[in-house]
Amino acid sequence: MEHTAREKALWTICLTLVLIFALIPVLWIISLSFKTPATITDQSFIPTEFSFDNYKSLFEGGISESPFIKPLINSLGIALITTFISIILASFAAYAIARLDFPGRSVMLAGALAIAMFPPISTVGPLFDMWRSLGLYDTWPGLIIPYLTFSLPLAIYTLVAFFREIPWDLEKAAQVDGATPFQAFTKVIVPLAAPGMFTAAILVFIFAWNDFLFAISLTSSDASRTVPAALAFFTGDSTFTQPTGSIAAAAVLVTVPIIIFVLLFQRRIVAGLTSGAVKG
Amino acid sequence: MSDRVKSERRLGWLLCAPAAIAMLAVTAYPIGYAIVLSLQQVDLRFPDEGGWVGLQNYGAVLSSGLWWTDLFNTVFLSVISVSIELCLGMAIALVMHRAIFGRGLVRTSVLIPYGIVTVVAAFSWQFAFAPDTGFVNHLPFIADDKDWFGERFSAFSVIIMAEVWKTTPFMALLLLAGLTTIDDGLYDAAKVDGASAWQRFTRITLPLMKPAILVALLFRTLDAFRIFDTIFIMTNGAQDTQSVSILGYQQLISRLNLGLGSAVSVLIFICVLVIAVFFVRVLGARQPEGSR
Amino acid sequence: MERRRRVRLIALACAGIIGAAAIVGCGGDEGGPVSLKWFIAIQPGGSIQKVAQTCSEESGGKYDIDLELLPTDASQQREQLVRRLGAEDSSIDLIGMDVVWTAEFANAGWIRKWSGPDAKQVTKGVFKPVIETASYEGDLYGAPFNSNTQLLWYRKDLVPKPPKTWDEMVRMAEKLGPEDGGQIQLQSNKYEGFTVWANAMIESAGTQILSGPEEVDLAQGPTEKALASMGLMANSSAAAPNLTTSDEDTSRLGFEAGAAFMVNYTFAYGSAKENAPDVAKNMGAARYPGIEPNRESKPPLGGFNLGISSYSKHADLAFDAAKCLTSEKQQLTVTKLDGLAPARSGLYDTKIVKDAFPGFADLVRESIETAGPRPVTPAYQDVSLAIQDALHPPTKIDPDDPGPAYDELKDKVEQGVKREGLL
Repeated sequence: MEHTAREKALWTICLTLVLIFALIPVLWIISLSFKTPATITDQSFIPTEFSFDNYKSLFEGGISESPFIKPLINSLGIALITTFISIILASFAAYAIARLDFPGRSVMLAGALAIAMFPPISTVGPLFDMWRSLGLYDTWPGLIIPYLTFSLPLAIYTLVAFFREIPWDLEKAAQVDGATPFQAFTKVIVPLAAPGMFTAAILVFIFAWNDFLFAISLTSSDASRTVPAALAFFTGDSTFTQPTGSIAAAAVLVTVPIIIFVLLFQRRIVAGLTSGAVKG
Repeated sequence: MSDRVKSERRLGWLLCAPAAIAMLAVTAYPIGYAIVLSLQQVDLRFPDEGGWVGLQNYGAVLSSGLWWTDLFNTVFLSVISVSIELCLGMAIALVMHRAIFGRGLVRTSVLIPYGIVTVVAAFSWQFAFAPDTGFVNHLPFIADDKDWFGERFSAFSVIIMAEVWKTTPFMALLLLAGLTTIDDGLYDAAKVDGASAWQRFTRITLPLMKPAILVALLFRTLDAFRIFDTIFIMTNGAQDTQSVSILGYQQLISRLNLGLGSAVSVLIFICVLVIAVFFVRVLGARQPEGSR
Repeated sequence: MERRRRVRLIALACAGIIGAAAIVGCGGDEGGPVSLKWFIAIQPGGSIQKVAQTCSEESGGKYDIDLELLPTDASQQREQLVRRLGAEDSSIDLIGMDVVWTAEFANAGWIRKWSGPDAKQVTKGVFKPVIETASYEGDLYGAPFNSNTQLLWYRKDLVPKPPKTWDEMVRMAEKLGPEDGGQIQLQSNKYEGFTVWANAMIESAGTQILSGPEEVDLAQGPTEKALASMGLMANSSAAAPNLTTSDEDTSRLGFEAGAAFMVNYTFAYGSAKENAPDVAKNMGAARYPGIEPNRESKPPLGGFNLGISSYSKHADLAFDAAKCLTSEKQQLTVTKLDGLAPARSGLYDTKIVKDAFPGFADLVRESIETAGPRPVTPAYQDVSLAIQDALHPPTKIDPDDPGPAYDELKDKVEQGVKREGLL
């Protein structure tokens, strides 16, 4: 189909608008992070003076004193462990749902859906009370457990959608061709299932990385506080000054890797988000 | 029943069990526990007090103006932001679907908000609108000293903007998935019959996309209803901008009044149930599995 | 208990799921000095680290103070601590308590009483209002570590003579006009700072919010006068455009950008000196404004007291450490590095304090001596939320008819003190 010049111009405008809308907050926080204390209130979108001081201040004092390093380690560790466990449990369940015939299949799916809709604030109080009597308060498992719960529906739905597309007969064909069941599984099924699991893993990781409510309710020190919670607790130059610059720098550091990641795997993420049709 | 069927059942249950337990352990059990707590007087700052008080906590919540203001705020924010997201998401989906060039670019840029931590986005918008650091008040047609967070509805507009920015991509992608299932032949036939672009949209696209739209709406509405992060960062509930989740947090974590806070939690849970039932029963939203 | 047991069972299930993932940091005991954990708000000048190190060294190997730094926001500090204390966490030994937490912590049984010579030692020469903030029902629960108060800061080049009352200040600012710095900066976002302001107004009017842990005072006449002044201030053209979202930092920025008046803590001076030297040159300090010309104001009182956790396993050493940390010498270190006001009045004649508060050291001492502390009650958090709920935004207070605002305040505070209903 041929497009007129007018259509193309219109399209270019639409495209630019979407781009600007999507990018403004990101560019803004990057710009803030490079501003100096003297120019941070100059209200200009582009910094007039560049400095890396805000970034340096995040790492000053090494692990023990830096306000950022420990939360970053916590965030990474908690999100990775959550992702790992969640994908294993979800793969079991998704395999069963996609391949096996058993009563309770639809209950499981409906249940997962219900969990996806569950309001987390309703569990915060009881979890706080349980965790404090169990000693799980302000520990990694104390956050991993709720993250697991709320990421499983996402992972299950995504994986079920992927597993349903896998031509499982190939496994039998491979066995007919003389492969052992184990070989058939590792050589045929695993490569087919891996992309789906990887997609689900990205979505779960982003979910755990993003959480704020549990992170501020169930932690109280650097032992387990994650970056989003730490950001809200940053300290300024004096007791009463706003640490705008350091917040911006830390925000950039936790955002840029995720953006690069998202961009690298955008096809997978889109496929995952839409196939499962479960919120991310 | 053959052994094969039996063992398949057993395997199915076995494989689902860990995930089911993990999901129930942190939802079903706590909500039950929340109900128990909500019927008691539990204030961790007063460890010696306690005891069953029946529905007194619920009475205190439901008779408080604060609960109703916050419920109104939450519903208001959800309805407005989800409506905007639906329109905007639909527009972006159509644009992506009918892309002339640069489809990848749109998809890329649309995914950026999805990848960003909500708290980071909230900070960025807050700094952008703050009268001392922000560039927004420097723009033409905006008063230099406008205090966006100093008044209820201007604060709402910034909160809604941040929410819309963050979640429209998800909406757009869901709708795009729905769009791609529509047979192009239908449009060609309608074109031949002389239907205008608008008629094609309302007569073909919308009806065929109803399931996808409803599912997207259901998820986004429930998600919007739990709004917490953005408000916590931007106003922390000042200027009457509190949501029910913030209200619950304040009773539970700031006041350590677990009894009262649990009553709020249970009521929020009931609200969510009502919304879900409304979508499923009244509007006929189906489980995504069904719409595939 | 039945509840606990069920919780345990679930926990076991959870633990099973987490399995190998459970990595909980845990240090072993290996002799040497006992490690004492001190939870306190971070100070940017490094004074906390310095005094902790000095006292650890001076203990001669008996203890070693480990810091767990809390966020700067007072409400968030408290949230972090009470959650731990509510969980009976034994890893806390020393607590840097904001002056308003004492009653809540003492009543809940989270902190230990100070008595005998120890109590005498840590309160020797300490300002009376500060001791009051560290006490609950006649017993001492905290060792005063530092104090803080608000002053009226004004521009000497714009204002010949500082105002005595809020109403006078509003008139002066209005006369100056918005173009010429006719603006008053204060803390009026919906947060603890707002309670600080409201309390100072009510105290300065000659009444108080509570007369006992559960008794609401709020005499109608004076309270209405205080509210009228708040309403006048908030609805005046001298109010900053960001009045309802202002805090210590935005008011400092507003003053550095040219406002003629500001009420704020002493940090504002150092900040102006660094960021706006021209403003700092003309910066005058005066006593916090009052409500009536013939009644002295009661300035706000801040600061920290050190409490010893009831769950500490090394309480004796913790008491020793607290004595060292709050000694005159260490208080001066804190003043020197972070510009915080000492809690002992005798120190105000030293060079260190005079250098930290050039020209206004005596004013700070006087303000603390005659300060109006915030209410002492175990339900402090609820009372503070109630005040914010009733009076925020202050623009809704009608200066000509503060009656409705008074009624709402009284109702809410009564509700707060009994910890009833949502807040």
